[in-house]
Amino acid sequence: MIKEYFRYALNSLRRRKLRSWLTLIGIFIGIAAVVSLIGLGQGLQYAVSQQFGSLGTDKITIQASGGFGPPGTGVIRPLTEKNRQDIERIDGVKRTAGRLVDSVRVDFNNRAEFLYTTSWPQGEQKELVKESLDIKLTSGRLQKDSDTGTVVVGADLGKDSNGFQKRLEVGSKIEINGKKFTVIGVMKKKGSFIFDKIIFIVDKDYRDLLGRNDEDLDLIVAQVESGADINKVKEEIERYLRRERDVKKGEEDFSVSTPQATLSRVESTLFAVNLFVYIIAGISILVGGIGIMNTMYTAVLERTREIGIMKSIGAKNSTIFNLFFVESGLIGAVGGIVGAGIGFTLSYGMAAIGRAQLESELISAQISPWLLLGAIFGSFAIGSLFGILPAIRATKLSPVEALRYGK
Amino acid sequence: MRDLVKYVLQNMMKRLTRSSLTIISILIGITAIFALLSFGQGLQKYINETAEKAGANKIIVQPRAFGPPGSTPASLKERDLDIIHRVSGVDQVAGTVMGQTEVKDKNAKIGKFVFVSGLEPGPNLRMVEEAFSLELEKGRNLQKGDRKKAVLGYNYQLSDKIFEKPVRLGDSITIKGVAFQVSGFYKEVGNPQDDSNIYITNDDAKELFDTEDYSYAIVQTKAGENPGQVAMAISEKLRRDRGQKEGQEDFFVQTYEDALAAFSTIITVLNAVLVIIAMISVVVAAVNIMNTMYTAVLERTKEVGVMKAIGAENSTILGVFIVESGFLGLIGGLLGIGLGYLIAKAGGAAAAAAGYSILKPFFPWWLTFGCLVFAFLVGLASGYFPAKAASKLSPVEALRYE
Repeated sequence: MIKEYFRYALNSLRRRKLRSWLTLIGIFIGIAAVVSLIGLGQGLQYAVSQQFGSLGTDKITIQASGGFGPPGTGVIRPLTEKNRQDIERIDGVKRTAGRLVDSVRVDFNNRAEFLYTTSWPQGEQKELVKESLDIKLTSGRLQKDSDTGTVVVGADLGKDSNGFQKRLEVGSKIEINGKKFTVIGVMKKKGSFIFDKIIFIVDKDYRDLLGRNDEDLDLIVAQVESGADINKVKEEIERYLRRERDVKKGEEDFSVSTPQATLSRVESTLFAVNLFVYIIAGISILVGGIGIMNTMYTAVLERTREIGIMKSIGAKNSTIFNLFFVESGLIGAVGGIVGAGIGFTLSYGMAAIGRAQLESELISAQISPWLLLGAIFGSFAIGSLFGILPAIRATKLSPVEALRYGK
Repeated sequence: MRDLVKYVLQNMMKRLTRSSLTIISILIGITAIFALLSFGQGLQKYINETAEKAGANKIIVQPRAFGPPGSTPASLKERDLDIIHRVSGVDQVAGTVMGQTEVKDKNAKIGKFVFVSGLEPGPNLRMVEEAFSLELEKGRNLQKGDRKKAVLGYNYQLSDKIFEKPVRLGDSITIKGVAFQVSGFYKEVGNPQDDSNIYITNDDAKELFDTEDYSYAIVQTKAGENPGQVAMAISEKLRRDRGQKEGQEDFFVQTYEDALAAFSTIITVLNAVLVIIAMISVVVAAVNIMNTMYTAVLERTKEVGVMKAIGAENSTILGVFIVESGFLGLIGGLLGIGLGYLIAKAGGAAAAAAGYSILKPFFPWWLTFGCLVFAFLVGLASGYFPAKAASKLSPVEALRYE
């Protein structure tokens, strides 16, 4: 029986080829637009979570509260080296590392730029910073404890488009706040606009250069031992800092965050922005649905006599309903399949072009099988939904009137 | 012509369901585009008004570095302000010491981190207020010799916005641990950031942030001077004083107009992206109109045959169908603009309630007119091929059509 419905629907679609085509185009434009935009949105979300993912799931970041901007902005009471050592002794903490963050003036090739710099800690702490920031080099080497007057720079500074109009490479001599430094390493691209333009200065040089005292820290990273409960460790650190800084619960002037918490905050913002774009694009699917409805009303009208004949030889209302319902569902499903395919191609195509043009790792497409299935099924649902009213009108025709129609 | 319109309207009435569905499909897209553009225009208007209030004669000078005051490698000091003041064409100059820090009211246990800006009380104050669209609402402005007095942004007067309870004139608040007395409030600027700002005297700000550095300076040029040229002269004087060559500057001079133009470009681009995405639905609607018109041609094949047989020219037939589809577009456009207006108004009210009264839709006449013409043109264009097909029907074949 169902096979019959399909054969009838296909035949009807073929009979009015032009109209069927136009209706299909209407629905698949919308589906393609939404699929490709969601693909790009998901790609962005994936790229962002990748950047956070590089922090690892076992690292806790501790900062003193300040305003917006890089760690240290507007901080009244900075963290201290003593805090770091105490935190390292907390149960479940494997190791810790402390960093300082500032902006500096860098002179090179007779031009000046203002860049972020961060301290490169001594001894074992180095390993944790290296791991938590996922630092890899394209040339040169990382700094040793004994190094002085050296810097390692982010990937974008190793390009001609770095603002100095000349790329930094191993051996380049630069001036930071008036003091001479030598580049000994260039980092691999991370796709982060902070770390691709960062300058690492060895801790001791850093404190001398910027006049920070030996105790201050802007940021502490703590790695949790495998098997330890990260949230429990986080609470433990919070309790310690509350005691140490003499603040009550709910009045903390510091923040202890796990990568998951930060990531989910960023993701929810991204999601809200993306959702707005999806909704505006989704409007076109609605318009496509109205196109289907229109086509189906016309089909019912054209086939009024046919319906009259079917009814007079005993077709039930439910049969008539199914005939039209299946036809509009079919238009939706086919539109969905074509739209999903076009959207898929469009999404990866635009991502490839965008990536090449803007050189941003954040532009990528990510289309899951679920998205494609969802688009096809959604389109089918839209087709069926917008076919309901026309199909009901078909069932309501009185057989006598219908037979007389057009005479 | 009257006959043509009458004929078209009759046909549309005859197929009421189909006509209304087609109109709905174009209406939806026009609604979205109209509403999105009205917000874009509103923002643009806000920027223009800000520029007008601030005057085209303002220049902003900033150190190129970023970061908390006192810690940045580049700075703007009293000496620089003197240099700027002596540049020919400069009327007034005022520096601002700005920082981000914690404030508490008398009940708050947890402080809020907000921007605190130092203003120079006296003859230059009005100029800085103009530059940042600040207007006193209550109380009094900062005055020369004021110590530990603060003028607050609009949001401090609301409950549950910054603090649980509204702050009142004469109340005491603690900024970075130091008690200040509230002497005035500024009117609403329209975005939560600016409306949470606190303004104190530069002397207090220098003490509070333990710095002599200004975060930026606002310059007003003399009447009749070209701000762009004055900005260049300022750059040159500062460069010479600092012994820097071009490209080595650790400061940044920009006319207010240029700064706002950059901002307005960003808004325009973002708005354009959204409108282009919304435009997809108009494309779909165009396909729908085309479909409706092809169906209409098919249904009226016999009619076309009769018209041709009694001497109607091809161009007349073309006109009949094109006008019909143009009408579909026009009506869709009219309704879309009406609906878009309501949606934009509602959206604007929701944004204002959330503290973003800067997001206020604006409906210039050309936007309404433009959307209407656009909808009409979409109708005409999508009706072209079906109408062409109708005009090419051979009268004999058409008459025989069953």
